[in-house]
Amino acid sequence: MRAFIIALFIIVNFLIQSTILHYIEIRGVIPNTTIILVVSYALLRGSVEGAAAGFFTGLLQDIFFGASIGYFALLNTITGYLFGRGNHNFYRENYILPMMLCAIAVFGYETIIYITGFLFRGQLNFLYIFVNTLLPETVYSCIFTIPLYRILFGTNEWLELKEKYKYRLF
Amino acid sequence: MEFFEEHKKQIILIVTGILLVCILLTYGKKANATWIESALGFVITPVQELTSDVGNWFGSKIDWIRNQDTLAEENKQLKEQVALLQEENKRLKQYDTENQKLSQLLKISQKYAQYETTGSKIIAKDPGNWYDVFLIDKGKNQGISANMVLTSPNGLVGKITESGATYSKAQSILDSRSSVPAMSIRTGDLGVVKGEYSLMNSGLCRMEYIDAEAEIMEGDEIVTSHLSDVYPSGITIGRVKEIQTDANGLTKYAIIEPYVDFKHLDTVLIIGADKTTQEAQP
Repeated sequence: MRAFIIALFIIVNFLIQSTILHYIEIRGVIPNTTIILVVSYALLRGSVEGAAAGFFTGLLQDIFFGASIGYFALLNTITGYLFGRGNHNFYRENYILPMMLCAIAVFGYETIIYITGFLFRGQLNFLYIFVNTLLPETVYSCIFTIPLYRILFGTNEWLELKEKYKYRLF
Repeated sequence: MEFFEEHKKQIILIVTGILLVCILLTYGKKANATWIESALGFVITPVQELTSDVGNWFGSKIDWIRNQDTLAEENKQLKEQVALLQEENKRLKQYDTENQKLSQLLKISQKYAQYETTGSKIIAKDPGNWYDVFLIDKGKNQGISANMVLTSPNGLVGKITESGATYSKAQSILDSRSSVPAMSIRTGDLGVVKGEYSLMNSGLCRMEYIDAEAEIMEGDEIVTSHLSDVYPSGITIGRVKEIQTDANGLTKYAIIEPYVDFKHLDTVLIIGADKTTQEAQP
């Protein structure tokens, strides 16, 4: 049940991000909803499920848009794993922390893409990319975290309630 | 689940290792998608097509509302233009038949062959902000394969990098990994049109390796040159917007403004692979 619902989330997110989201781009930048999804899910469920969600989102992106299989899968898996590690240490009802963490995740993720995909090919204008891509995307993603985290949080509560009865926990 | 929780560090290390090997093995040229990718594409791409259509519908409605006032004026201008172009087209057709007769007399092959084109729809764009890759709704089943060239009625769009059964992955000329051998039609100066990240969002690209002595000027028309084995020669790319000398002083580069409006592109034409046979005809 849980696996099915998160798979649905991953696929719907991929579809929207690759088609409709391009209509609301600001100066050619769209929010990175994949990373928001992975980080939010990792924060709610811990590093193992975060890494799994990251792996499948990345694989989907690799198959349809990547130059090689495994690049985005690796990045997203590691993101999910790292951000899931602290899930026992904070209150999930809090919105500020997911926003901050998503901003950090998007910034780090895009910087790594810049270093591996552009810096090594001789694109040295980091300042331009910082001002025109990294900063707007981070802010934009930060705003998008609120509704997405709310949806994931609600779904997760509902699923945990169902699981509680099913497995007779507590 | 217990097992995963206990050994998560080891598992993440193993997965990282496998993925790294995977990246190294699969990087580079890959003509055809594997059957797994094709199967996934068979499921995903129709939905993408649907969502894309919904987006396009809303986009066109918004455009219509925005441009309502200027439509009548534009319509009048376009009608005048059509009349002019029809006139010119008739004249050019006569030239074409004359050209064919003359080249038959001279026994030389046609320089600009007629390419067979297939129309196709763009169904999805790269979800990231770094590259300009998109999916189109035709694949191997419709006879599309990698390295076929995509154009629009205005000019060159890009090429296909990988084809699945029902979809293909394509790279536009604005992508920073793309390079197209090109030349200026007026002076015949050669160069390479490359995508650049800082120009991508404004829909421009860069022509590099132009000789310092070249007489290329602003406003010159740029077409694909005969030096490429992927792109057929003579496809229009765009117009020179600006010319700069490189730091080394030996070469120049030009900023090119493509004729294609990449922001509002939704259909492309695929040029068929059998161009060599057609070019050989007298």
